[in-house]
Order: sequence, then structure tokens, then C-alpha cells
Amino acid sequence: MKIPSQCGGPTMEDSSPSQNHNGQLGPSSGGINVGNKQSDEGNQKTQYSIPGILHFIQHEWARFEMERSQWEVDRAELQARIAFLQGERKGQENLKNDLVRRIKMLEYALKQERAKYHKLKYGTELQQGDMKPPIFDEPGGPEAPVDGEAPFTSVSNVSWRQGRQLLRQYLQEIGYTDTIIDVRSNRVRSLLGLNNNAESEENLNNAPVVTALNGNESSNKRASENQGRRTPAKKAQPSSLAEAMILDTEAAVIANFEFLSQTDVDMDDDDDMSDDLEPPDDDDQDDVKTTKRKGKSLMLNEGLADDVDAEAEEVLNELNLLTETEDSGSDIHTQGDPTDWGGAGMGFQPGAGHRRQMGAGGLGDEDVPNLGLGELAQLTVNNEAEAAYDIATTKESYRKTWNAKYTLRSHFDGVRALAFHPVEPVLITASEDHTLKLWNLQKTVPAKKSASLDVEPLYTFRCHTGPVLCLAMSATGEQCYSGGLDGAIHCWNLPCANIDPYDSFDPGVLTGNMEGHTDAVWGLSIHSQRLQLLSCSADGTVKLWSPTSKVPLLSTYISDQDGAPTSVDFIRDEPNRMVAAYNSAHCIVYDLESGKPVVRLETTQEVDNNVIGRQINCVVAHPTLPLTITAHEDRHIRFFDNTTGKLVHSMVAHLDSVTSLAVDPNGLYLLSGSHDCSIRLWNLDNKTCVQEITAHRKKFDESIFDVAFHPSRPYIASAGADALAKVFV
Amino acid sequence: MYCAKSLIVRLLFLARISEFSHQRSGLEKVILATMKMADGSTILRRNRPGTKAKDFSRWPDEPFEEMDSTLAVQQYIQQQIRREPANIDVILTPPDAQDEGVWKYEHLRQFCMELNGLAVRLQSECHPETCTQMTATEQWIFLCAAHKTPKECPAIDYTRHTLDGAACLLNSNKYFPSRVSIKESSVAKLGSVCRRVYRIFSHAYFHHRTIFDEFENETYLCRRFTAFVTKYNLMSKDNLIVPIMEEEGSGETDA
Repeated sequence: MKIPSQCGGPTMEDSSPSQNHNGQLGPSSGGINVGNKQSDEGNQKTQYSIPGILHFIQHEWARFEMERSQWEVDRAELQARIAFLQGERKGQENLKNDLVRRIKMLEYALKQERAKYHKLKYGTELQQGDMKPPIFDEPGGPEAPVDGEAPFTSVSNVSWRQGRQLLRQYLQEIGYTDTIIDVRSNRVRSLLGLNNNAESEENLNNAPVVTALNGNESSNKRASENQGRRTPAKKAQPSSLAEAMILDTEAAVIANFEFLSQTDVDMDDDDDMSDDLEPPDDDDQDDVKTTKRKGKSLMLNEGLADDVDAEAEEVLNELNLLTETEDSGSDIHTQGDPTDWGGAGMGFQPGAGHRRQMGAGGLGDEDVPNLGLGELAQLTVNNEAEAAYDIATTKESYRKTWNAKYTLRSHFDGVRALAFHPVEPVLITASEDHTLKLWNLQKTVPAKKSASLDVEPLYTFRCHTGPVLCLAMSATGEQCYSGGLDGAIHCWNLPCANIDPYDSFDPGVLTGNMEGHTDAVWGLSIHSQRLQLLSCSADGTVKLWSPTSKVPLLSTYISDQDGAPTSVDFIRDEPNRMVAAYNSAHCIVYDLESGKPVVRLETTQEVDNNVIGRQINCVVAHPTLPLTITAHEDRHIRFFDNTTGKLVHSMVAHLDSVTSLAVDPNGLYLLSGSHDCSIRLWNLDNKTCVQEITAHRKKFDESIFDVAFHPSRPYIASAGADALAKVFV
Repeated sequence: MYCAKSLIVRLLFLARISEFSHQRSGLEKVILATMKMADGSTILRRNRPGTKAKDFSRWPDEPFEEMDSTLAVQQYIQQQIRREPANIDVILTPPDAQDEGVWKYEHLRQFCMELNGLAVRLQSECHPETCTQMTATEQWIFLCAAHKTPKECPAIDYTRHTLDGAACLLNSNKYFPSRVSIKESSVAKLGSVCRRVYRIFSHAYFHHRTIFDEFENETYLCRRFTAFVTKYNLMSKDNLIVPIMEEEGSGETDA
């Protein structure tokens, strides 16, 4: 503030004598005051003088004026901002209105097309009520979304039941009897573990009806299945399933419903299914909307085509339940759909939302619900649907029991390790007879009597001079690495899966070996993205290698107090860590770059003098969760949290020591093998044993050395001391 | 105590005789449990991860009678070899009441497995360019029987194919479905396998002498093999062309 400084400074300003300034020039008036004041300075100290008082008052006033001007400026700013925001808002609303308008137009076009199609197909007119071009409400319409829904619930609860009855009646007309419906519904229930979502069954049961019609409807069914399963299951599972599962599971479901005649549209669905995940909406809203939809379905006129609409409606209701209407608009993209309904489908979800918002009179709103929903159902089912869908079918595919399918006989001594090819039905086994063998599961020997097929090896890898103890397959499936008792790690280029077993010797198969360990190499693990290899050896070290670089050995990790490392694995959900397990029953998470231990996983405090009795035989890191699982010699399997190092769970898993673990690629199941001749499949959610398979015979006191899941196919394999490897499907 | 234990072991063995029963019966489980309880410190013959190479399979020998696994014969043979590889007599002597067919079979498996070591060493020296055919002496060229029509494979291919073929045959469910009893018809197969496998020795002896000697000094394999086939008459003596410097050796006879 200039005024006080000027008061202090002896600046004499010649200014206009007027002391009646009006606040705009506060500082200058201050200057004036100072000038006036100077003359009175002598008096001011001792007494109040009129000029002094005047001065003071003017001084204050000037200050006030300054502040006021300040405020005026702020206010102007804020007002500008308000104006700006209002403008933005208007812009958004306009945009929204435009979109809604567009949606209506598309819906109308869709209806037209549908009518045309129906006419062509059936030679009759499609009865779908009034098809008047949409009326565009002015923005007053969309603005009471919540209110609009409330009346729906009360009105349509009754009509919902009526709707179901109607649908059931339609089904019976077709010949889909009640028993089938019940069976299917029970089946679905059991798959999903649900008891209470009757809607989903209805969807599922009603869905097959659709397939009788045309391809689009079949896809509709699929989507409705998804819907049915999605709603209940979405709560159970986090939406973090690998999408690679999707195709498998879809294939499984297609197989289930044989009466699906048209598979081309199913493929479209496949494209559909690969969407972004959307978080689930309120469940309350879900029910509300569902019931409302069912009510709407009543409005449809008779005829099978309308049946389709009804189901498709339900489907779409479900669709809407779980997506924000606005957001979903962005998710929908046209697939390679030959019909132009794909385009119509694009607008559907916001349109449905719009419908919801269109006013309380929705029930009577004929035009909007009677869209050609068959094809719309193929549109982007969000991943909630497929998540639940996948879960259901994955559960299905895993819940069936695993049966021995292939027996791999060719080794002369115990098979110590095995690894599947990432993609093909090919695996490699490593044995104590110093060899590795490559097997193609499709090349089976014609079996005479037993149910399991014998497979003969395609190639034998010879280079180790001692038993081969561990094996790792690269993520591409082109190389594999093996470590043995002789301390050498060899790198092999895999020959093609279709070679003749008795081909000439190709010296290019052995591409190199990594020297560094001075004692038996017991564990190998390969990073799924980078080409890095971890190995642990009885010489007490864990080494990190980059096999393709000039100096393969990147670093060595030694822990002095823990004994010899027995097993290593990369931590899969964090980029630079690995976990190493030791035969002193300790387990340490290391940071790869610094080489320092990061977390020591808490080991049990059992008072057991026999340290060997607690040794960790195998450690695996979960592919997605920060979880490490260890297999112990004391028959336990223990789960540790990677971040805190705490023991999360411990269970007695087998009758004898647990030797090996494998986690399925989706992170849902755990396979464990033990020297008690059994392998067990565990559900990781509730840590219960889903299946036990007795396999392999004992040699000395050893039975099963290794187990593995196929990364992309439904195979599991076990490697035994009886020189056999078995593959289960 | 010993009687009880052996009784239990025998019971277990009997209980497990039927190879195709995969269910471990409750009775077995109980027996095992009592066995463990009775014998306070059971020796677990296991090679756990983290075992050093020198400690591999270093456990006290188990008498054959106490072995209760279906792979007892293999275990026994391996145990004897580990103990003393040069003592061929002991290795080749079957335990009492051992079925001879199974004994021969298991030995042949062991031979094929150990021959792998020789093959690995040969891989470095025996190239298709240098040894274009499988020969030992000048007289015979051996054709590889692993193909549909016998083919003149280079030596290294012959070695590999023969070993692979032997592995397939010896493990095939068709000829050798069981490891505790051998079909009569399959016993003849053993002879042909022996003959082919012997050629690997002879080629190595005549063409890659240093490798052969090195390997032989470590494993005594050729001597053992020769003794084995002689004892059980699996090959005609004329074919045994590798000179074995031993009293029971077959001497040098040209084939």
C-alpha cells in the first residue's frame, strides 16, 4: 500500500488542492494528503489537529476505495466465469439434445428396416404398433430422470409377472416345455451358484426361443444369456478376467446350445464382446429398470417376432442396467455386421436411457420399445456381461472333472519338470535320464485298450550330462531353457511341432548354454514379457540372465543366512521383483535392480527342529494378485501377501510333502503335486480342493515332481518319478 | 519290529500289486501311517530341490526285499550301480525270485539311459560330414531301422534314432505294458534292441576312440553291456566286436 510508505517518506507532491477526490485515485490522494500533512507534521505528534483528523479520514477512505475496486475486479472475474460455464453448459445440453435427436432418428430408421425385413421374410406386415417418426421434445423432457422412474416400479411389478407368464406361454407354444425350462434354469443356477435371480433364468430360458428364428436372434440369445448371468455374477467377480478366455468360453457355450444353427452371427458377437469394462450400476436401479422393461414387453403385440422383441428388450434392459447411458454411447462401435442394424445398434444404449428418461408415460410409449432389438442385442455387450458369462462358463469348463487323456511314455527315469508351449498343444519334459523330450499331443499312438492315449516324443534334446532338473519355456514358445545337475543351463530352439521324429540331427537346436552356476540348477523361471531368466542353484546363488545379450549373466543374488535356494519365480504383478524360496523354509522377495531383499515372507513359527522338514519345494507368484504361494515339505501350502509379507493362509494340502505348484493363467485355480502320488486342484478364492487325481507311482520316496497348466488350452500335466508324464483334459 | 515292518511292507506291496488300481485304499493309508509311526525316523529317499550334485541320491541303500514300489527293480539296479559301477557281477546278479524277463528289461532300460551320456559326447565329434554312415569295421554298414524303409543314416543320426527308437519300444504300451511282468512275445524284442544299441558302442570304439575310452573309464558301460548280453544270450557272440580287456571278454572276433 502506497499510502503508509508515503506517509513515512517525505515526498512532496504538488497536486491539485482538491481534497474532495472521489476515491478513484486513492494513492494520489494519499500523496496529496501527505503533502498537506507535512505542513502539519509538527502539530500532529502532540495533539490532534483538524488537518490530521481529516487526513486520517481521507486515508481510510482511500483505503476503502481501493478495496472496493479490488472487489469490483473480482466480481467481474467471477461473473465472467459464470457466464463462461453457463455457456459451456448450454453447449453440452445442445450436444446432448442433438445426440438424442439422432438416436430417435436412428431408432425410427431401425423400425422401418425391421418392418421391411419382416415383410420380406414373412410376407406379412410386422405388427409393431405405431411407427410414427419421433417427436423431438425440447429440453424439458430429459430433465427428470429420477422422477420418471419411480412410477415405473409400482406399476410394472404386476405387469412383470404377467409378462413372464406370457413368455412362458409363448415358449410352450413353440414346444419348449416347462421341464426344459426348469432344467435349464436349475443348471444355470447351479453354474452361477445363485438362488434368487429369477430374471436371469428367464432370460436364459427364453433365449433359446430366439434361435429358432434367424441368426440375429441367436446372437440375441447369446447376449441375453450374458445378461442373465451377468447380473448376479457381476457382484461376485471383479471385472478383471482375461479376454482370451472369452473365445474359449463362448465356444463352450455354443457347443452347449447345439440348436444354434447360425454361427456367423455368433462370430459377430465375439467381436462385440471385446469391449471396455464398465463398472456396475446400482442394483436398485437395475431392478427398477428391469421391471419396467418387462412391463414394456407386455405392450408388444402378439407374434413371435414380438417375442423376440420382448426378450431382446429384456436383454437390453439388462444392458442398460449396468452401463451409464451416456458412457455407453462411446463404447458401442459397429461391428462387421452386414446389416445396417449395426448402425442402429450404435444408438441403442443411449436411446434406451433416453427412453427411460422420456417421461413417466413410458409404459404407454409404443414406438420406442418396439425397436428391432434382435440385432441390437448383438451390440456391444459390455464386459460385465461377458465377465459373468466367462465366469460361468469357465467355472463350467473347470468344474467338470479333469480326466487323464494322454500318457507320455518315453523317458527312462523320473520326469523332473515339464512345460507347455504357450499356444500349441505341445509340451516339453525334462528327465533324470539326462534328456528333454518334445511332445505334440496331437500325434498320438493308436491306443489299444486304455482310455488314455499314448503320445510319442517328437524330439529328444541331448546335451546335459546329468539329470535335467528344471525347465522353462519362453513366452513365444520358440526357446526353452533347461538346467541340470551338471550346473549347466542350456538354451534350445524348439523344432517345429510337426517334424518327423527321425529326422537328421540339427545342431542348431542347441543354441547356447549359460555358465555360471557351480552346482546343480534346481529352478528356472522366465519372465513373461522380457526375455530374462532366473535360475537358482544348490551353490547358494540365484542368477538373473538375459540369454540373448553378449554377457548373459546380469546379476547374482546371494543370501547368506538362508541356505540353498530351491525355487524362484518372477513376481508377475510388479515389474522388477522376484521371489526366491530356500531350503531353510524362508522366502524372500528381491528387487531385481538393486539386488536387495525387499520383503521377507513370514515363515511359520512351528517348533520343528527338522528344518529340512519345512523346506520350501516350490514357489509361484500369482499372475495378477500380489500373492505368493509356497509348497512345503511339511505338507502345507502357504499363501503370503507380497506387500506386507504376512502369511495370509496356510493349509495342509496333501498327505506327503508338496512338491510343485502351478497357477492357472487366469489366476483362479491352483494345482499342486505331491509325493503322495496325487495332484490336487484348488479353487483360489475359497482355498478348497476341487478335485484330486491320483497319478504316478512311487520310485523310492518320490512320486510327482512337477505340475503345469497350459497357458491357453484346457490341459494340465503332471510329471512323475515313474518316468511318465500325464496330461489331463 | 523288523518282522512287523517287513510284514507291513509286504502287505503294502501286495496291496499295490494291481497296477491299474489308482485308488489308494484306506487300508494302505492306515498301514503307511503305522509304518511311519513305528519307525521313528523314516529315511526319505528323496532328492529335494536344493540338493547339491554330490549329494544327489546319496542315501542309504535299501534292501530289495523292502522296496515296495513297482519300480523296485529299477531302483535296485540303480542303487547297485551307484554303489560301485565297476562291479559288474553284483550289478548283473538278480535278487532271489526275480523274474528274469523283468530283470532283463529293466537292465536294458538302464543301458539305454546311460548310453545317452555317450551320445552326448559323440554329438560334439561325430558329424554327418565326417561319419556319413554308420560303420564300425569296414565290413558292415548298418542301416537305421527307425524309418519305414531302412535308411543309411549318418552315424550321429543312427545313434539318435536308435536310442529314440529303443525308448519308444521299451516304453510302448503295446509291447511292454507293465513293469512287473513281461509278455513272452516281447522278450524277443529285447534282442533286437540290444543288437542295434551295440552298434553305437562299436562305432564309438572304432571311430571315436578317445571318447569311447573316456566314457568307458567312467561308466564301464560297454563291459557291463557285453557281460549282460552274454549272460542272457541276447546277441550272438559274433556281433560282439568291441574288445573287452577282461577275462570274461568275448575276445576279438570279426563279424
